[in-house]
Amino acid sequence: MADHAAADGDHGHDHHPTGWRRWVYSTNHKDIGTMYMVLSMFAALVGGSMSMLIRLELMNPGIQYFADFQFYNVLVTGHGFIMVFFVVMPALIGGFGNWFVPLMIGAPDMAFPRMNNVSFWLVAAAFVMLMVSAFTQGGPGTGWTVYPPLSNATYHPGAAVDIGILSLHLAGVSSILGAINFIVTIFNMRAPGLTVHRMPLFCWSILVTSFLLLLAIPVLAGGLTMLLTDRNFGTTFFEASGGGDPVLWQHLFWFFGHPEVYIIIIPAFGIISQVVSTFARKPIFGYLGMAYAMVFIGFVGFVVWAHHMYTAGLDADTRAYFVAATLVIAVPTGIKIFSWLATMWGGSIDFHAPMMFACGFIFLFVVGGVTGVALANSGLDLAWHDTYFVVAHFHYVMAIAAVFGMFAGFYYWIGKMSGRMYPSVLAKIHFWAFFVGVNLVFFPQHFLGIAGMPRRIPDYPDAYAGWNYVSSVGTFITSASALLFFFIVWRTLTAGSKAEDNPWGEGAKTLEWSVPSPAPFHTHEDLPDLTGKQPAE
Amino acid sequence: MLGVLFTTGGALASGRAEPWQMWFQPAASPVMERILEFHNIIFVIEVGIVALVLGLLCYVVIRFNAKANPVPSTTTHNTLLEVIWTGIPMLILIVIAVPSLKLLYYADRFEKAEMTLKITGNQWYWTYTYPDRGGFKFDSFLVPDNELKKGQPRLLTVDNPVILPAGTNIRLLFTSADVIHDWAIPSLGLKLDAVQGRINESWVHINAEGDYYGMCSELCGVNHGFMPIHIKAVSKDAFAAWVEKAKKNFAAADGDARVRRAEAGPGAAAR
Amino acid sequence: MANTRRKNRIVAALLFTVAGGMVGMAFAAVPLYQWFCQITGFAGTTNVARAPAAAVRPSTKTITVRFDANVDRDLPWRFQPEQSEITVHASEPTLAFYKAANGSDRAITGTATFNVSPHKAGVYFSKIDCFCFTEQRLAAGEEAEMTVQFFVDPGIFEDPNTKELTAITLSYTFFRVPGSDGKNAVQSAAPRPRRPIKG
Repeated sequence: MADHAAADGDHGHDHHPTGWRRWVYSTNHKDIGTMYMVLSMFAALVGGSMSMLIRLELMNPGIQYFADFQFYNVLVTGHGFIMVFFVVMPALIGGFGNWFVPLMIGAPDMAFPRMNNVSFWLVAAAFVMLMVSAFTQGGPGTGWTVYPPLSNATYHPGAAVDIGILSLHLAGVSSILGAINFIVTIFNMRAPGLTVHRMPLFCWSILVTSFLLLLAIPVLAGGLTMLLTDRNFGTTFFEASGGGDPVLWQHLFWFFGHPEVYIIIIPAFGIISQVVSTFARKPIFGYLGMAYAMVFIGFVGFVVWAHHMYTAGLDADTRAYFVAATLVIAVPTGIKIFSWLATMWGGSIDFHAPMMFACGFIFLFVVGGVTGVALANSGLDLAWHDTYFVVAHFHYVMAIAAVFGMFAGFYYWIGKMSGRMYPSVLAKIHFWAFFVGVNLVFFPQHFLGIAGMPRRIPDYPDAYAGWNYVSSVGTFITSASALLFFFIVWRTLTAGSKAEDNPWGEGAKTLEWSVPSPAPFHTHEDLPDLTGKQPAE
Repeated sequence: MLGVLFTTGGALASGRAEPWQMWFQPAASPVMERILEFHNIIFVIEVGIVALVLGLLCYVVIRFNAKANPVPSTTTHNTLLEVIWTGIPMLILIVIAVPSLKLLYYADRFEKAEMTLKITGNQWYWTYTYPDRGGFKFDSFLVPDNELKKGQPRLLTVDNPVILPAGTNIRLLFTSADVIHDWAIPSLGLKLDAVQGRINESWVHINAEGDYYGMCSELCGVNHGFMPIHIKAVSKDAFAAWVEKAKKNFAAADGDARVRRAEAGPGAAAR
Repeated sequence: MANTRRKNRIVAALLFTVAGGMVGMAFAAVPLYQWFCQITGFAGTTNVARAPAAAVRPSTKTITVRFDANVDRDLPWRFQPEQSEITVHASEPTLAFYKAANGSDRAITGTATFNVSPHKAGVYFSKIDCFCFTEQRLAAGEEAEMTVQFFVDPGIFEDPNTKELTAITLSYTFFRVPGSDGKNAVQSAAPRPRRPIKG
C-alpha cells in the first residue's frame, strides 16, 4: 500500500516548471505556501503602516494629520481587515499549513493542488480589491464589523462598501476551498500507520481551523450578500423601514466573527505545541487533551457570538446564557497553557529564537486571555464595550500572541523552507525589541479603556493624552523591530548558514525533519510507512 | 492610587477621566458601584492567574534549561494534575459567574421610575426628549475647541447638557434617527445602543449632583468622536424649576424635531 | 491512486454541501429570526390577537402603558401620541390614539415599525388592531387620527421575569414607503443641522 503519489493530476517527477509559470500556475504545496507568506509580509507592511498613521494621529490630543475623518475611519477599517484576512490567516493557514501539513502526514501534496492554487490567487485578488475599495468614493469607513445602517447605501453611497463586500467574498471563497482541501488531505492522505491520534498537533490545529472556516465563512457570505442586495437591489434585510433589523446583521456577522478569532489563534496553538516539544526535548504533555481541547474550543466558539453584542439591546436572559457559555471556553484554554508548561517541566530546554517566541506566546496569551474572561461578563462589559479595553484585549491575543506564533513558526521552519538558517543574535534582538514594543503599545490601552476612552475616534479628551503618547511611542519601537525582521529575512535568504536536515536535534520528531533542507520540490513520493512506529508528535 | 483603586465611590465624583488615569472613574450610580465591586473580584483572579503562569514560566526557564537539566524526562501524563487544572478553573468560573449574573440582572431591573428621558442619536449630536414633562425636546451639540470657555473640557463640552434630578430612578429610552449610536456614561456604568426603528430601555439613578460626561460608543460616521454627552445632575427642586423654564424655551407647538438652542438652564453657562 | 482520488472527491463533495448548507442557514436566519421573535417576544416584538381569551376577566392589577412616536427624516410628517400614557388592567382591551399630519405638498405613504420596551414585556402585549398593520397614505396637508387597540396579558404579573414592571412603552417609528410619492428610491437623508467640530 506504499503506493505512488495519489495526488490529483500529478504526473512528471523529473522536472518542474520554472520562471513565472512556476508560481502563477503552481500546484505545489510548498511553492503555494511560500507565495502565501510573501503576500502576508507585504500585507503586513500595508496594514502596519495604517496602524502607524492611526497611532501618529493619536499620539497627541488635537488633530494633527487628518483633515478627513472619513479617511481615518477607512484606515481603521482597512487595518482590521488586512491584519485578519491578509496577514495572519495567509501566514498561519495558507503559509505554514500548506508547507507543513503534507510534510508532516507523509503526503506528497494536498488533495487538490489546482484548487490550492485557486485559493491563493483569490486571496491575492481579494487584497487588491480591498485596496481599491479604500480609494473608491470615500472608502468604507465602517470598521471591519461593517454594521448597517452606517454601511448601507444611505450612509455609504457609492461603490466603496460594495467593492469591499466583493473583496470579502473572494477571500471567503478562498478560505472555504482551502478548508476543504486541508480536511480532505488530513482525513484521506495520511501515510499508512499514521492514525489521527498520532498526527502532530499542528495538523490537528489546521484540521480544527478548517472546520471552523467551513462552517463560519458561509454565514458571513450570506450576510454580506444580504448587505449587498440591501445596498443595491432594494431588499431590506437590515433596514427598519422595510421591516428588517440592523441587529440581524450583528448576529450574522458575529456568528462568523467569533469563530474567526479562533481561526486565527488555533493554528498558532499548533505551532507552539511543535516548538515547545522540540526545544524541551519532550513529547507534548497530554497529547489527547491538547487535541480535544482545540476541538472543544472550536465547537464552543460557535455558540458565544453575542458577547460582542451585550449593549445592542438583548434580553437579560439571552445575555446571561452568553456570559456562561463564553466563560466555559476558559477551561480548555487553561488546559493548553498548563500542558505547555508541563511539557517544559522536566525538559532540557534550549532557548533558541523559536522557543523564546513560544514562551512569550504563553505568557502574553494568558494576559490577553484573562482580560477576555473579564470581558465575558455582561455587567463589566457595560463599562468596557467599545472602549480601548477591548482594543487592548484583542490586540494582546491577536496582534501579540498570534504574531508571536507566526515568528516562532518562521524561525523554527525557515531552515527547512529555504535551506538557510537565520542569524541567531539578530533574532534574539528582534524578539526583545518586538516584545518591548508591542507591550508598550497595548498595555497602556487597558488604562485608557478602563478610564472610558471609546474606540475608533481620531481625537480624545485631554485626560487621555498621557497613555496615548506612551502607546504611540511603542509603535515606533515595534516598527523598528519589524524592519529588523525584514532585514533578518533578507539576510537569512541571502547569507544564512546552511541548514541541516534537522537543526534542532532529538526534540524534533515530526516528519518534516526527515526530508532534506531545503525540502525538495517533491517529497514523500513514496509514502513513508509509519505503522508501529512511535507517535509522530 | 491604591486607595482609589478599590473604593467603590470616590468623594471626588469627577464624572470624567483624569490625566494618566489607570482605573475606573469614581462610581456615581448604584450600578457602577456594583460594577466596581465585581471587578475587584475579577481583578484579583486575573492578576493571580497571570502571576501563576509567569511564575511557573520563570521557574521552568531557570530550572529546566539545557545547562541546568541536561537529560529531559519523558513524563507525558499525570492524571491528577490534569484533573486539578481542569477542575480548579471550573470552580473559579463558577465563583465568577454567580456575582456576574447577579450584576447583570441588577442592571437590568429597577423599581418604579419617577421620570423618563428619551435619547435619540443623530449624526452627529444627541436629541433629548422629556416625554412626561410635556414632551419638550432639545439637541445637544459638541462645542468646538475655538468656542470653549475657560475651564470647559475639550471634546466633552456641549451647548445643551442633559439636566436630570439626582437621587431619582430615571427610565431611559434610546433610539436613533439614522445609524447606530451608543449612549455611554462611564461614571454611571451606563451604555446602550441607539438603533433606528426600535426602542431600547435602561435606567439610571445618579447618586449625587454634579457633572457626568460620556462619548458616543458606536462608530457612526465621520464625527463619531465628536458627539459627547454631558449630564448635569441637580437637586429635585432645581430640576422642577428648570423644567418649567425649559417647557417655554424648548417646546415647539407642533412637535417638530427642530433644533432648539439653549437658554439659561441651571449652570448651563458654567462648566 | 484512483481509490484515493475517488475518496477525496467524495469527501470534498460532502464538505461543499456543508458549506452550501451554512449559506442557506444564513438566509434562513431571516424568516427564522422573525418567527423566533414572534414566538418569544424577543426584542420587544408584540403579538397580534383577536381579543383576550373570553374566560379571562379584566384583573384588578394595573400597569401603565406609555406611548412613544418617532418619524424617520425622510418622511415629512408630524407624528405624536395623543396621550402620553394610559394605566390599564390586564386583559382589558384599550384604545389608544396617535395623530399623524403630512406637512408636505404631495401625498405620501408611510409605514410604521414598532416595538415594546422593556423587550421582555413584548410577549405579553397583544394588538387587536393597529394602524401599523397596513400602510397609511396621507394627502398633502392631511391630518389623520390613527388608532391601536391592544391588551396586556395578565401573565405579565405572574412571570418572575416581568412582574416587577410598572410601565411598558409602546413605540412606533414611521418611515416613508419608497416610490409612494413619485420619488424612486430612498434618498440620502435630508440636510441635518451641523456644527463645525474643529477648533
